[in-house]
Amino acid sequence: MAKISKEFEEKAKTTFSAERREDYVVLVIATITVALVLLGVIGSGFFSSLFIKY
Amino acid sequence: MGVGVDLADVKQWPKMLPGFLACLIFAWIGLQWDFYIIGEMRKGYREATAILKPYKELGKPIKPYEEYVKDKEDAYKGALTLYQLGIEKVKPSKPFVLKKADYETLAQTKEIPFKFAFGERMNQFQFTYVAFLLLGGMLIRNTVGVPKILQPGTVAARPIIKPGIIILGAYYMWSDVLRVGAVGLVLVVVFVVGVAVVISILGKRAKADDGLMGLMGAGIGVCGVSAAVAVAPIVNAKPRDFFYAIGTLLLFGTLCLFTFPYIGRAIGMSEPVYGAWVGTAILNTAQLVAAATWYGHEALLTANVVNVVRIGFIPVIVLWAIYYYVVRPAKAEGGEVKKVNAMQVIKEKFPIFILGFFIMVTLSEFGAFEAFQKDILGRDLVRIFMAIGFAGVGLNIAFEDLKKAGGAAFGIGFGAATVKAVLAAIVVMLIGTEAFRIK
Repeated sequence: MAKISKEFEEKAKTTFSAERREDYVVLVIATITVALVLLGVIGSGFFSSLFIKY
Repeated sequence: MGVGVDLADVKQWPKMLPGFLACLIFAWIGLQWDFYIIGEMRKGYREATAILKPYKELGKPIKPYEEYVKDKEDAYKGALTLYQLGIEKVKPSKPFVLKKADYETLAQTKEIPFKFAFGERMNQFQFTYVAFLLLGGMLIRNTVGVPKILQPGTVAARPIIKPGIIILGAYYMWSDVLRVGAVGLVLVVVFVVGVAVVISILGKRAKADDGLMGLMGAGIGVCGVSAAVAVAPIVNAKPRDFFYAIGTLLLFGTLCLFTFPYIGRAIGMSEPVYGAWVGTAILNTAQLVAAATWYGHEALLTANVVNVVRIGFIPVIVLWAIYYYVVRPAKAEGGEVKKVNAMQVIKEKFPIFILGFFIMVTLSEFGAFEAFQKDILGRDLVRIFMAIGFAGVGLNIAFEDLKKAGGAAFGIGFGAATVKAVLAAIVVMLIGTEAFRIK
């Protein structure tokens, strides 16, 4: 039982550190997105250009 | 939010790729549904209604198609001239013109074509891309199932909601964040931390297991799964407790997600009030953002601020758990009290992605974005990120996981979360719309 609890504790810690690393990835994605908008690569017509229109 | 796979582990990316691509395609279908059915077909409904109005009310004949198109073009040119002369400040958008075949069907039958009426009906039911992806994903997961090869990728798609939360910051000014955040802070302290503390104390009195009650207190109080994961090692949670707690949190969140938008409309909640409500009552970021987006953009803006305040409280709850489950019993037993470095805990447990949101608000405050760029970031791209995340959320709502809710966690956790949701609804409605509106 003690072994299972210890393993579980380790797993919980690992999961939380994975979530922390995930936050860094998310920040990078957001930064790239903002840069693309500021540089004009993604413009006003981008969103509607993705879809089939009436 | 991202429990299950490590998005930052490059070695895992090939494993995630198939499922992630599946989520991208599913998200595109959901957005296409929204764009075409809720957007274009609804415009068609309005246009058809306007065309039929003179006929139905005054008995006037419906004009020929060519004349209808010419009138639309003339009206647009006139509005454009007024804008160019500076009389009108808002640039007119191109008019929605019915296709010839639809116009002629309308002129012959004097009835609104089914596809337009369908778009209007779907909008009335709020069946936007949020509902499409969540319900559709849930349906796929629980009927045909998600093949094993796609599962890691669908889990990895869920945190893609977070960049959406960050770039939504382009829409805010610090004055909004501080004003709504201050009210949100009071709500968080009263409801969120209050619930966490009350559950812990009631659990102790009822001689319920420390681990279980610590998890439920953190989970119901603050941020569902993330808070429960953060607290689990401190309270020595058993694996069984952990799964009971997570199951209860997921079940409650899923029920809220699908019912709150309709409850909100039924009791006449404005979008900002609804945003504050879901920000306080729903326990999981992904579900909260989905429920708010479902209701409307203003609801999302308010919910996002309250959510940022709420998840910023994770380190506080961890500190509480350390005090309540480690320091206090040690003191009572006269044993050695382990020294806790509060700053270290805050540094380790703070959800750093919300710093990105604060940077965006600061950039917005300093005028880094023009109005059209705010719209691209805060509306168009937010929708894309949210859609990918919602595709992942929907495809991961498995009835088997919800069935894991059980034991003492279910009664105490579900009861506390429901009471919190009801009280929060009353309080935010009493506070009123203006306190929560992002201008």
